[in-house]
Amino acid sequence: MTGRTDALGAGSPAPRAGGSRSRDALIGWSFAAPFVILFLVFMAGPILVALVTSFTDLRVTDIRNPLAIEFIGIENYLAVLGDERFQKAAANTAVFVLVGVPLTMVLGLAAAVGVNQGFARLRTVFRVGFYLPVVTSIVAIAVVWRLLLGTDVGLINATLSITGIDGPGWLSDERYALWSIIAMAAWRNLGFLMVIFLAGLQTIPRDLYEAAEMDGANRWQRFRGITVPLLRPTLLFAAVITGIGYVQFFEEVFVMTQGGPLNSTLSLALYAYRQFSFGNYGHTAATAFVLFVAIAALTFAQFRAFRSET
Amino acid sequence: MRTQYRLGASLLAIGMVLALAACGRSEDGGGASAGAQASEVDTSAASGEIDVWAMGAEGENLGVLADAFMEEFPDVTVNVTPVPWDAAHDRIVNAIAGGEVPDVTMVGTTWMGEFAALGGLDPVPANIDSSQFFEGAWNTTIVEGTSYAVPWYVETRLLYYRTDLAADGGVTEAPATWDDLKAAAAAMQEAGAEYGISLQPGGTGAWQTFMPFFWQAGGEILGEDGSFTLDGAPCVDALTFYDSFFEEGLTPPAAADVPVEGQFANGEVGSFISGPWMIGIVTDAGAEPDSWTVAHQPTEEAGTSFVGGANLAVLADADNKEAGWAFVEYLSRPEIQVTWYETVSALPSVQSAWDDEALSGDELLSAFGEQLSDAKAPPSIPTWEQVAAEIDAVIEQVTVGDTTPEDGCAAMQEAAAGIGTGQ
Repeated sequence: MTGRTDALGAGSPAPRAGGSRSRDALIGWSFAAPFVILFLVFMAGPILVALVTSFTDLRVTDIRNPLAIEFIGIENYLAVLGDERFQKAAANTAVFVLVGVPLTMVLGLAAAVGVNQGFARLRTVFRVGFYLPVVTSIVAIAVVWRLLLGTDVGLINATLSITGIDGPGWLSDERYALWSIIAMAAWRNLGFLMVIFLAGLQTIPRDLYEAAEMDGANRWQRFRGITVPLLRPTLLFAAVITGIGYVQFFEEVFVMTQGGPLNSTLSLALYAYRQFSFGNYGHTAATAFVLFVAIAALTFAQFRAFRSET
Repeated sequence: MRTQYRLGASLLAIGMVLALAACGRSEDGGGASAGAQASEVDTSAASGEIDVWAMGAEGENLGVLADAFMEEFPDVTVNVTPVPWDAAHDRIVNAIAGGEVPDVTMVGTTWMGEFAALGGLDPVPANIDSSQFFEGAWNTTIVEGTSYAVPWYVETRLLYYRTDLAADGGVTEAPATWDDLKAAAAAMQEAGAEYGISLQPGGTGAWQTFMPFFWQAGGEILGEDGSFTLDGAPCVDALTFYDSFFEEGLTPPAAADVPVEGQFANGEVGSFISGPWMIGIVTDAGAEPDSWTVAHQPTEEAGTSFVGGANLAVLADADNKEAGWAFVEYLSRPEIQVTWYETVSALPSVQSAWDDEALSGDELLSAFGEQLSDAKAPPSIPTWEQVAAEIDAVIEQVTVGDTTPEDGCAAMQEAAAGIGTGQ
């Protein structure tokens, strides 16, 4: 991905004479204006307001009475970081990201390679099948997964009981709930990554594989030596997108567990949402910025990791 | 993956709230001032148009009463807007913040403290007689000494139990005390139920099942001085009692995957505690009418239950308060309350409405009517929802986790004190 934009930049036409350049700029800005205005009003503005809010004691009961709002410095941040529930949510989120992102990527890549190489006739069927969860409503998914994971009436435990195993409460036992959610998220999102990887795989020239095959490289060696290195920009893109999404995981737990049992599936986004619904806007804004820093740090680390390997 | 927009969206919401704050009226300073003066409103000359917001089935069916009202008050036009429950809270907050409000709105009883503290509600006129309502229901309308709404309909929680299973286990009378309740649950389990009772092991709303035990043990959520008193002996007693059902395997150890009514109907669960809406649900689930009944909460220091429901409030920024209060007063008439019960099965908040044959003739409903005279609501403070979430969390830590009731009550008190009463 990055390689291609570099190439475009280098090949851009040389600047023309002054008059037409400013006219070009004007045209350019007028095309960009709708987005820029919307961005400033609905993204940058609120983000700035939220940053200010995070240093105040704003609560829902203050909104008709702005004079009651006081600046309290970094107190919200100290309260957020010192809150045991926040720490629990941060730990859960870390597990979700550190396990979920690699898991989803491996599954997505496996699906992409499989669909790309084998079963030529069934390719469309598999592509649709893997992608379907991505476009399905999370509520519908939750209903189906509840039927799968239910303690007494779930399909998994019902199957296990045939073999004499007494299955645990996949969603109601605090030892398993987060892992169940990770499995569900990976299943739900692997189709999206599969499509991204498929696009990446199409760009790898076939003759590289043919040459390697002539040299006697087996399937695994070809995968390791050709597919993975040439897919690196795509992998980075997938890791960043999935990482950002997973740090903010919310819908899955919101519809499946409400963060329970015993906060074992409480995520940072759900924590922030709760504080917002309690009307603690200052606290919520501080949580959102902690989350923002976490996402920025994760993305930065991912870029570093992928670059250092080249 | 749309997730990256979530952060933006929540920040956006905060920004909009702030923007609304800037537009909000500041001359009345906001906030509920203690003992705000309630004036009399002359509702006989009501005229003009009023907008009314109502949630759920109430919103969909209120038109029936609005039509009847407009026949009696031909000068008034009532526009009913149904609002989904999920969206109602935020929508009302935004309306109050922006000053663009309906004239009358239905208000969930636990939102009263917040909306009144926002300065969004009009004090109830002095000519509305508070004694016609159930005391517990009327108390939900009072914020810092002033009433800001009128109870519309009520609900309370009773013990639903399988009389046939209880009889098989040798229990022929409704449980009167905590010991009786425990014995009845054990007896029903003995008689073949998988679980004698189904209590909520924490999770959203568990406090509504737990707090009655707290009140029964003599507890009060707020002390005389208005600060939380959750860590006393009543809390420990109640939490120990609640947890004992889990310890002794008398209640499912985790929330069930299937609704309780089905388990109750087929005898897997012997009893549970819930509100009047379950009468129809249990019947639809196939429970034989003579195999079960409802019973008053057990009595220790008291036999108190939880009272919920919804109130009707006129907004402080309403354009037409006269007609608004006239409509609220109309909905509080005993005969209209009975009509409303017949329309959406909402239980009347007005005591005299219960004399009507439609209610007094029904044995199960009468039991609810009886419990309503000994039912309490949590204090109307703006932070209640957050305190309640802490109580739910502690209940889970004690019943599912290994926290002791003593530590649990201390944690409840600490969390509640940290949140404060918002006053």
